[in-house]
This record gives sequence, structure tokens and C-alpha cells, in this order.
Amino acid sequence: MTRLHPFTLLAIAGALPALAWILPAPVGGLATAVVALALTLTPGASPGSTNTVTAVSPGSRPGLVVFRTALLTAAPFWLFLLLLHDLPTTIAIGLRVTTMVASFVWVVGALPPPRLVEAMVAAGWSASVAYVFAATLAAAPVLRARARRIADAQRCRGLSARGGLAHRLRALWALALPLILSALHEVDERALALETRRLVPGARRTSLSPPPDRGAERLARWGLVAACAAALGWRLR
Amino acid sequence: MSIRLLVLIPVAAAISLALSAGVDAVALPLFLDTTGTILATALAGPGVGIATGVVTSAVNSLRNPTFWPFVAVQVIVALYAWLAARAGLFRSFKTAVPAGFGLGVLAALTSTPISYLVFGCTTTGGIALTTALGRALGLPPLGACFFGSFVADFGDKAVTFALVTSVLHGLPRRTAARFPWALRAIGAA
Repeated sequence: MTRLHPFTLLAIAGALPALAWILPAPVGGLATAVVALALTLTPGASPGSTNTVTAVSPGSRPGLVVFRTALLTAAPFWLFLLLLHDLPTTIAIGLRVTTMVASFVWVVGALPPPRLVEAMVAAGWSASVAYVFAATLAAAPVLRARARRIADAQRCRGLSARGGLAHRLRALWALALPLILSALHEVDERALALETRRLVPGARRTSLSPPPDRGAERLARWGLVAACAAALGWRLR
Repeated sequence: MSIRLLVLIPVAAAISLALSAGVDAVALPLFLDTTGTILATALAGPGVGIATGVVTSAVNSLRNPTFWPFVAVQVIVALYAWLAARAGLFRSFKTAVPAGFGLGVLAALTSTPISYLVFGCTTTGGIALTTALGRALGLPPLGACFFGSFVADFGDKAVTFALVTSVLHGLPRRTAARFPWALRAIGAA
């Protein structure tokens, strides 16, 4: 599966939830949920490249970990649906949500973000768009780590997150303000670094190793779009 | 769009992601997942704010796929924050907090149909439980769904607006002046 072009993986992950909502419940949702859950068991759906999987026990099979992650993410929805709705509605919505969760968990496991960025650049997307997506993915863990360091530092200075609402809000300010202000002060540094690399808005770059995009895959992607459109037309008829 | 504003988008999106994870440290029932969107809008206008909101939703979806359908809420938040910045409502807590309450109502109104139609009002545990409380109080399904979203969004957006106000006032004037909307948002231009 990982050999497929990133756009093909995204098309599959987008088409399955779309079909789950378009096709009549519960059969449509059941069929798409089975396909999506089967995808999480395919080789290449690796927990090493997914953010949703937080822990891997020694000796576990990677495919099963992604499958289990999809089930564990979808499980609370079933519980709350059962709390709020009758059984047929729970099954109808639950299967659709399971399809969506399993599709996303699978695509996150099968598609490393740098490969998607390469594909976007190779497809002629603006380098700015690719930069924004890649830079966010890179910056988020850095800022999370900084937030943890700030929290630790403030605790050393006597900050306590216990007590009443006002006390907790003061603690939030003590954590959030240094984090946000330090991040904003980095904007100029980052802008200068980009300018020296001539990455101006609208610039186009060439990809170092573009993922191969075969004709059959392009055809399959259009086929998925056509299938969704046909299903929608059939339901609206 | 200048390079500085382009760089602001991933930085603001990362701020949202870091804060929504870091808020657990103070054990407050808040999301703060629109902080970056509101901040980017107040600093650089609606285009940058909307882009930040879309990127935040896209990257958040990699962690939890249920975030993606709510991208429309991020767009509404950016547009509302732009109007607030134009009116200079970030000049003090007295103006920012009521504006945040207004956004809370608007965000709940926007997220309710998405939550109801796509997830049957079960997006997060807390919202599902408050929705169940609404049902127990005799509200109709859609009303209970709005009640759940309202309880979640009302305080969250007010705190977010107050936080952004603190940040805008905490920025050195020279730094703030580099962003096209910052001084106007705090009523200094």
C-alpha cells in the first residue's frame, strides 16, 4: 500500500467516509467500515509513522496496532451513541464514524507527511502551501515540548495548577503567555531563513524524489470520484 | 502575502496544537484549539486567520480524525475575530471577554449541525455527557446537541479571546507594528 501515490491513498481515505455517508444505512456503512478496517491490517500501515498510536508493546504486529488504534478511537463514539440514540441510529452513525476513523488512522499510518509534501511539490503545488503544511507538522511537537518545559519551569517557581477557577486561570496564563510570545518572536527568524533560501510566496520548486504517479492510479482516483458522484446521484434520484 | 505572514500560519497553527495539549496541565475544561486562528487573524487579517484555521484542523485530524468536519467552525472563528479586531475589541478584557462570549454562541451554532448530522452529538466525551444532560432536562435532540456545544464553547472562546488580548498587549510595540492588524486590534492605531 505504501507504494501507492500519496494522492491515491488520500483519495481512498476520502472516498470511504464519503460513501459511508452517501450509501443507505446500515449496509453501506457496514461495507465501507469493513473495507476501512481491512486496510488498517495491510502491510505498510505502520504505527511508527502515525501520531495516533502512542505505545507499541514489544512483539506486537504493527498492522494489528493500527487496527487496534482504529477500534479504540471509534469505541467511545459507540458508547456515547448508545447513550443518546436508539439501536438502529447507533448502528447507522457508528458504522459511518468507524469508517471515517479507520480510514484516517490507516492513511496516517501509511503516508509519511514528507512523502505527501514531495508529491504536492511534484504536482506543481506552490512551495508556500507545501511549506505551511510541513512547517506546522515540524513546529507542533517542538512547541509541545516547549510547553512541557515551561510548565516544569513554572512549577519550580511555585506555580500550582490546583485550587479554584481563578487560580487555575492564572496558572494557564503563566504557561501560555511565555509559549505564545516566544513562538511569535521566532517568526522573524524563520522568515529570514526562508528569504535566504528564496522561498517567496508563489515560488515553485522541483522535487528531489517525486513519488511515481502511474496512469492506472490516476484513473483509479478519478474512478473513486466518479463512484462517489454516482452514489450521490443515485441517492438523490 | 509577505514571507512574515506566510511564516505566521504554521507558527499560529502549532500554538493552537500545543496549547490544546498543554491545557491538561492546569486541569481546566477548555480546548483552546482556536487560539492560533484568533491570534493570526488579530495580527494579520482574515486570510492568514482562515489559512491558520484550515491548517490547524488538517493537522489535528492526523491525531484525531473527528476534527476535520469542524473546519467550518475555524473559518467562522477567523471571520468573527477579524470583525473584532477591526472594531478594536482586543483593547481590554472588558471588551474582549464579552466578544469571546459572543463567539462562543456563534461557534456553538456552527458546530451543532455538524456534530448532530455527522456524529450524532458524540464528538467528545464531555460534549456527549452534557448533551445527555440536555436530553434528561427534556430538550429535543437538536436542542440538547446545541446545549452540549454551547456549554463547551461559551467559556472556552471567552478565555481564548482574553488570552489573545494578553498576548497582543504583551508584544513589544516594535514587534506588533510588523503585523498589519496588531495595533488596530488593540485600539492603538
